[in-house]
Amino acid sequence: MAFLIRRGSKKYPYITARVRAMKSKLIPKEVYPKLMNMDIPEITRLIGESEYKQDVDELAQRYSGLDLLEHALNQNLARTYRKLLRVSQDEPNFLITEYLRHWDIWNIKTILRGKYYGAPAQEILDAVVAAGQLGYRELTSIANMESIDDIKTALTHSPYYAAIAEYEGGELSVIENELDRIYYSRLLASIGKSKGEKLSLKYIRTEIDLKNLKTLFRTKKAGLEKDEILNLVIPGGMELKSGDLKRLSSLSWPDFLKGLEDYSYWSDISEVVREDMASLMDVEAVLDKYAMGYATRISHYYPLSILPIYDYMLRKNNEINNIRTIVRGKKVKLPDEIIRKHLVM
Amino acid sequence: MVDISIADATVEQILANQKGLIAIGAGLAVGLSGIASGIAEKDIGAAAVGAMAEREELFGKGLILTVIPETIVIFGLVVAILLLFL
Repeated sequence: MAFLIRRGSKKYPYITARVRAMKSKLIPKEVYPKLMNMDIPEITRLIGESEYKQDVDELAQRYSGLDLLEHALNQNLARTYRKLLRVSQDEPNFLITEYLRHWDIWNIKTILRGKYYGAPAQEILDAVVAAGQLGYRELTSIANMESIDDIKTALTHSPYYAAIAEYEGGELSVIENELDRIYYSRLLASIGKSKGEKLSLKYIRTEIDLKNLKTLFRTKKAGLEKDEILNLVIPGGMELKSGDLKRLSSLSWPDFLKGLEDYSYWSDISEVVREDMASLMDVEAVLDKYAMGYATRISHYYPLSILPIYDYMLRKNNEINNIRTIVRGKKVKLPDEIIRKHLVM
Repeated sequence: MVDISIADATVEQILANQKGLIAIGAGLAVGLSGIASGIAEKDIGAAAVGAMAEREELFGKGLILTVIPETIVIFGLVVAILLLFL
């Protein structure tokens, strides 16, 4: 009897069914070509009649055009993620909370970047997504601080203080990298040994792999040295263990591409990987697509687990990125072909 | 506790004893299958409410799916009726 009660206390059926219903309300991929044929006001109207209605209505008094859309998208993302936290309990709630700390990292990076380039507080706040542990009010007060020292003091109690403690202004890439590492190491450490948590780990470690692959592609392409690359990758991946990373990072560009053939990701990326490819856009799009396909696939294997929720979070984020890509592309009058290449569907 | 051995029992006592056992069997058939239905319906019901919270039009489907495990307890009831009346 005890095991029945414990199983029941995980409360997956409710949240997974709800998330699946939410997933069915995402914009279907047939709509994107239609969006590409519209002007920004038309897109805003279409979006404003869908799931984003509340956000567009709320913000319509303050913003218009592209600004309105951008703000509505950000606010909707934060609202959706907070809703997931609100409607989940026990283990799923814990796992979602841990996963969403990603947005704390995102927000800290955004604020520091904004300060580095001297952006006004309002502009910084436009880009933050208050979906993590730091609420919008806290973020507002941090964004309004003038000096880096004040920001550091405000974040003393956060787990990410270690990454920014030494920061004195200037180059941000080191801190950004350190923040990512802290995020993932904390995430991996916080997840326990129960069956549900192990599944979560499986997904997160694959995500780390894909992130590392992107880093490897970029750094290899740019011709960085092994040590520099190893500083940038995140330990804890599923297939690309630290030995593999060391090996891959020491290879030359053609050998590196050949070395990738040993991993299961190769079958998906082999189509677009060429030794003489000019841009990594295609590879990154394929990797993003792989992440989504993987999340969907394993969420079908384990329907009563955290995986359908991760799948939904990924797809929601992707939907928002796609809409943003389309409207920004439209704004600067990019040809449709290029916009389409950037979309992940 | 009355100590009855089969050798000393009258025919009436034995028949009464059998009736009692049949009643216990019928009770178990309904009771256990009821618990089983409950366990099965718990998760389905929670999922149905979750889906309905997002899309109200799923009410009909949710309701039907939730009561499908009810068949288990109906089988239990049929077995109980067979035991008691046949």
